Amino acid sequence: MTKEAISPGRGPSAVRRILGPAPLLGLLTGALACVLIERFFGQQVSDLLHLPKMPVLFGILTISKVVAGLVNALFKGAAFEGIELLQLPAAGVYFAVVYLLPLIGVGRITAGAANRAAAALARMPLPASALVHLGLMYVTLHVWAGMSDYRLITLNLTLIAVLFTLSLNIINGYMGEFSCSHPAFMAIGAYISSLFTVGLFVDDKVLGKALVAMPMDYLTFPLALILGGGAAAAGALIIAIPSFKTRGDYLAIISLAFLFIVKSLFENLQVLGGARGIAGQPDWATLPVIFAVVVLGIWIINNFVTSTLGKALNAVRDDETAAEAMTVNTRRVKMTAFLVGAFWAGVAGGLLAHVLRYINPAMFGVQKLAEVLAMVYFGGLNSVYGSIVGAVSISLLGEALRPLEILKWIFIPLLLILVMIYRPTGLVAFRDFDLRKAMGPRTDSRPKV
Amino acid sequence: MRKGLLLMVTLIGLGLALSPAAGAANDVIRLGFPIPLTGENPDVGASSKNAAEMYLKQVPTVVVAGKTYALKFVYEDNEFKAESAVKAITKLITEEEVLGVIGPQASAQAVPAGEVANNYATPMISPWSTNPNTTLNRPYVFRGCFLDPFQGPVAANFATEEFGAKKAAVLYDIASDYPKGLAEFFKQAFEKIHGPGAVVAFESFTTGDKDFSAQMANIVASGADILFTPQYYSEVPLIVRAAKENGFSKPIMGSDSWGSGDLMGLCGDDCKGLFFSTHYAAAGAQGATKAFIDQYSAAYGKTPDDVAALTWDSLGLMIQAIQNTGGLSGDIKADRTKVKDALAAIKDYPGITGKMTFTPEGDPIKCAVVVKINDQGQFAFHKSVCP
Repeated sequence: MTKEAISPGRGPSAVRRILGPAPLLGLLTGALACVLIERFFGQQVSDLLHLPKMPVLFGILTISKVVAGLVNALFKGAAFEGIELLQLPAAGVYFAVVYLLPLIGVGRITAGAANRAAAALARMPLPASALVHLGLMYVTLHVWAGMSDYRLITLNLTLIAVLFTLSLNIINGYMGEFSCSHPAFMAIGAYISSLFTVGLFVDDKVLGKALVAMPMDYLTFPLALILGGGAAAAGALIIAIPSFKTRGDYLAIISLAFLFIVKSLFENLQVLGGARGIAGQPDWATLPVIFAVVVLGIWIINNFVTSTLGKALNAVRDDETAAEAMTVNTRRVKMTAFLVGAFWAGVAGGLLAHVLRYINPAMFGVQKLAEVLAMVYFGGLNSVYGSIVGAVSISLLGEALRPLEILKWIFIPLLLILVMIYRPTGLVAFRDFDLRKAMGPRTDSRPKV
Repeated sequence: MRKGLLLMVTLIGLGLALSPAAGAANDVIRLGFPIPLTGENPDVGASSKNAAEMYLKQVPTVVVAGKTYALKFVYEDNEFKAESAVKAITKLITEEEVLGVIGPQASAQAVPAGEVANNYATPMISPWSTNPNTTLNRPYVFRGCFLDPFQGPVAANFATEEFGAKKAAVLYDIASDYPKGLAEFFKQAFEKIHGPGAVVAFESFTTGDKDFSAQMANIVASGADILFTPQYYSEVPLIVRAAKENGFSKPIMGSDSWGSGDLMGLCGDDCKGLFFSTHYAAAGAQGATKAFIDQYSAAYGKTPDDVAALTWDSLGLMIQAIQNTGGLSGDIKADRTKVKDALAAIKDYPGITGKMTFTPEGDPIKCAVVVKINDQGQFAFHKSVCP
């Protein structure tokens, strides 16, 4: 949205030039228009284009399915109908007609009005303006996900990935350490919150009969998440204390060890289901709940990293000795960063457990670590935008390229390598997330140089 | 820009002119396969897909109440991950609009996926999952294999009768759902026959371990008459060799997990003469089972493993149930429930892995076989054990 290049000496980005002077408010309105168009006319458009179904992930899925069919036909001799090739341009046209053109069109047409509205909102307290933007964003996502349950589950898991990635970015990005224990924090959060919800409110084979019967038991879900996050933070203490003295490779090894300890702990704890895990979590992690928690998480983490303490994190990253000399209490800083990061990872774990409604220790292994590290480094270190971009793009790509099967695992790592070559710190690294500026009016398409 | 637009318009025009009229989709029965085509266990996905493709070649169309339907299978990669399996099955049910689902295979994916299938009221058969939670309280979820609480006693009884074993040792992977469950069921059953303490060594390791000498030393010292190790094909050769090197000369027996993958290629002569309980025996098979094995071997150049055989049977069950519905209405939601009811009502389905009838929980009642790995390295039928 506010992807315009701020660095001096560079002109407005191509995206920004096309979108014109539309502020975030205008773009959100445009996005809402897109999903409404899709909601009411998407089926007709896809029928008109002779697409077999309404494209579910912006047409990328349709394209990768055709490509997969083509690859199978070429290398394995599978049957392939040439007519399917026509789905390639059709998916592109669908994307253009339903998303791209309305977004640009509405964005440009409403730019004047949206700028005036944004200016009016900017005069109001920040929370009011933020609520308006978030409301628009939620409605857009709600309508978009309402069209298909597959979108809904993808969106839910993507939002959780955003929170999880951001929480790791505190440690790996802002503090500049290489921590490998994040899946363990997620596991602790997932288990403790499941223990709370399943143990108290659900009849379960592993954890026994429900202890409490309450008509509004879902209202306790925030408590479950906080407990999960708190337990993860408590676990982080174990890793934060040795991290006082270690840096770099050694911290990576200690934290990796912690990951394995936690995983085997849950594997061996028969009261928590052992390797079989816990199933039957209540279905409480709905889209509004996840959206609210993730937004809250982003807000708090953003405040944290832009606070004095957050700046101290950067100081510790750049030179620990110098930071210490400049009166930064490095111990306290490291400890806080670990605890905050682990807390939100635990909350993400609690959400994940209640979306999948099943957890087992194997889910929180090295594979999960690789996934989240890829999201952090792909999106960009030291940046809230970066975490959002990284988590969303890797999740969506992983989903949209699923039909390619094994080729997907060539394509995504290749993309990572390319990003690391051309942008070694990730796509949108080291950029502050200034809420006021992001939501403000955009009178001039090109601000100061 | 203008050229691009022109090209687009031409292509759309072409698309409109060439594409066949919509609406032919009514005469197609779509089944979904959320299977691990990539990830840690691609062999499992490949076997499932092979079996399904072979089935499709043999049975391209199904007649339901006088109307012919073309079969169409949709494969979705679950990456051997729980999250991915949930997304894959949701996609199959809501986007691909499949009538029924075969898979996922392993319990770690089948348990969460079963929840999704049950929520969307879509019949699902997991051919290979042994976790009780997969089908528990889920009327729409079935499985194609017998459960560990049955296989454990089979192995315990066999060890007692065949080898006269009085003391047994168990070596299992504590971090993996299936071996751990089965090891415990074996222990229970064996101690029920021979009294508490009859399992003299109950040794564990963690997924990925390659050195078993410490556990073997304990097992040898315990004086066990038999070693039971319900591990996967990749670990069995290491365990068998470790046993030999540490001087354990008593029989070793295993479970159905031995039968998948390339056990003999990895194990060679060391595994000859050992026994394991499983779903079916490839060598010495007869009738439909033999026909299946011959065709599969001819098509893919290897003997079908139990995943392939169970997938074949699950698919057969699903098709049988669809035929038993007595006609599909075209309303996918109503049809899914009809298929579920028909599945639950199937009696004595003659599968290649034995006769199957579902319990109300959706688990089949079927016989297990004990196979012996013969001197040619084939899995030969030794004994059939029925519940």
